[in-house]
Amino acid sequence: MGNRQGNGQSDEDPVRDYADSEMEIPRLFALLLIVLEWTRPGLPSPLRPICDLRVLDHFIKQARDAEAAMRVCKEGCRIGVPLVVPLTRVDFGVWEKKNMEEQAREVQTGLWLLNKAISSLRTSISTSVLHSHIDASVRNIASIGQVLRSLSIQDYVPTDGGIDVQETWRVSSASELFQVHINFLRGKVRLLLANAPVCQPDS
Amino acid sequence: MTNVRRSVLAIYALYLAFASSAGQTFESKVEQLLHDEPENIKCFTETLRDLTCFWDEKEDRNSSFGQYAFTYQYQNENSSVCAVSVLGAAGKRLFLCRLSRIEFFVPLHLCVYQGGRELYNRSLSIDQVLLLDPPANVTVVRTRLQRQLNVTWLPPALKYMDDSMMYEVRYVVEGSPMRKEIVKDSTKLTLRGLQPNSKYKVWVRVKLDGISYNGYWSAWSDPVFGTTPPSDLDPLILVLVLIISLILILLSLTVLLSHHKFLLKKLWPDIPSPERKFPGLFTVYKGDFQEWLGHNNGSTWPVHMYTEELPAPLEVLSEASLAAPLPSHVSNPRPEATPRAAPYSREESDTMEEGEDQLETRGMDAGLHDRWQEPRHTHWLMEQLRALQEHPEALSQSSLLESQDTYVTLNQNSQHTREDEQGDDILEESLPLQALFASRGTSLSAASHSDLGSLQQSSGSGRLSSQSSFEYPNHTWSPNGPGYAYMAVADSGVSMDYSPMSSSRITDMGKGVTYTNEYKNDILEHRQPLSGQLIHSQY
Repeated sequence: MGNRQGNGQSDEDPVRDYADSEMEIPRLFALLLIVLEWTRPGLPSPLRPICDLRVLDHFIKQARDAEAAMRVCKEGCRIGVPLVVPLTRVDFGVWEKKNMEEQAREVQTGLWLLNKAISSLRTSISTSVLHSHIDASVRNIASIGQVLRSLSIQDYVPTDGGIDVQETWRVSSASELFQVHINFLRGKVRLLLANAPVCQPDS
Repeated sequence: MTNVRRSVLAIYALYLAFASSAGQTFESKVEQLLHDEPENIKCFTETLRDLTCFWDEKEDRNSSFGQYAFTYQYQNENSSVCAVSVLGAAGKRLFLCRLSRIEFFVPLHLCVYQGGRELYNRSLSIDQVLLLDPPANVTVVRTRLQRQLNVTWLPPALKYMDDSMMYEVRYVVEGSPMRKEIVKDSTKLTLRGLQPNSKYKVWVRVKLDGISYNGYWSAWSDPVFGTTPPSDLDPLILVLVLIISLILILLSLTVLLSHHKFLLKKLWPDIPSPERKFPGLFTVYKGDFQEWLGHNNGSTWPVHMYTEELPAPLEVLSEASLAAPLPSHVSNPRPEATPRAAPYSREESDTMEEGEDQLETRGMDAGLHDRWQEPRHTHWLMEQLRALQEHPEALSQSSLLESQDTYVTLNQNSQHTREDEQGDDILEESLPLQALFASRGTSLSAASHSDLGSLQQSSGSGRLSSQSSFEYPNHTWSPNGPGYAYMAVADSGVSMDYSPMSSSRITDMGKGVTYTNEYKNDILEHRQPLSGQLIHSQY
């Protein structure tokens, strides 16, 4: 019904072209679903747990390279403001006494601090080579966060008041920062991932 | 410095001698580190609960251990002092300090002071100086497969680090260089490519893998022996060998079968037997020729039938004097014959005296041709012819018989002799003659045609005379020379070749059955049966 003679019907609602008007509701419903799915809020679907520690080993190797590169950097690696970094020491006896949540919180806090500190280095360090290390480290920290999430370890963003000062200290050079970075990965992060209950065979 | 080191090493070699073999003792570890670690302050942790640091004595031997001070400081902490102890005898001493409180993943600063002055210092992280005990429970077992051994061991019992271990397996067999293999993330290894039936010696040692933790190689474990199984026959080779041998066997069988007759002849030659020609002779009659002849009365005689050739009259001349008159010439010529007869025939001639076969083939000696006195025979023949002509009645049946009286008589005589049982020899000798006579007789009676030509053809070595002279009594008998067929093969021992054609074709007078004898050179041996045949045909 392509051609309609123009007449006084233009004021009225135009007659619909398509044949059936019964499909209208299902169409709307489909559209609604699509929109909702797209803008879905809330938690993402649970990831498959990443229990293989070789992923972390890869990050550790990269961090080791960064630390080695920073160690030789003397001149352009000075930072003005001391950066807050977590403590990396591990006493096995003490560590074992902590429960899973404490360990997780400790790791999450440390990662957050490191992320913040390393990211702030971008502005201080000019050398492009070191920039690549900085970017790699930041990416790796984010990936570790993903791994933790896959192990059903909740994200934890510490508030400024929530951080225990006892567990932090300040560094004043990039090499120290990266040393802290690698020690943290080797130590606490690895211990947490290795002993995640999701990855244990008996659990 | 090297001298000091050497002496210290010697001391610790002594210690090692007394050291227990279970695991690696503290002293041995110290000794090992003394050798491996280049730093001045050597530190290691074995239990993860304490850190052992030591340093060797300087050349100044007089210093006492009280001089030394050892401090350590973790990052972000205050420094602490560690008590120094001594290890070893005077002169070769080591000073060590054990830290009881240890922290991983933090830098640790160590300082050794001697008399207030800093002697050595070092900064390390304890998670990087792990020195473990060698693996325990190393076992070597055989697998199902050839040339392989399975090596298994227990990892060091360290919590949190069992996935950071790295192992090295060392194995050796007599006559081969030592081989090493690195194993990560596993506590077993399969050794491949080994020699069969050999005794292998296997060691294992452990180290942290260096990613998260690091350390020194442990000492080698105690050697463990394992023997590879003896080599088996590769089943593939066995199957191939079987298939090839099967194929070869089949081929040889095929060849054998296809040529089996040929091979059989070569290996197992047939003994010629006359059985084929004389059916039933050996099987039914057990070699009794006479019986066989009787039953086989020509009906089944499998001999060649030369139907084209009628038996031709043959004139048989004997070397006996032929001057005797016809009826009486029977008795003649034996004396003549005798000297000419072969020794064998001589005997027979004696016996045949009665038979008076003086006519002919008495003279059938070997080489009779040569001694054939043609003129005499010719002469005698002429006389005989004349006699016949003069007495035409002789041509009557009886006369025919008579004319062949010489011949017929022979027959009769031979018959007599036969009846007299004078022995078959005579008969044998006379048989061919009889045959001749018989044939001659029949040919005379027939008198229709004499197949001279055929006779001539049939004569083996001799020629047949034109016996047709008898048929045409008026016809001048012109002997054709020495064309006499010597039919008395049997007694003469003549080395003549008697073809079937030439052999006496004995025609049964009444029956008309012809058969020939196949004479061969060795006929003398076979005389008995042959002569038997001849005789039989006659009567």
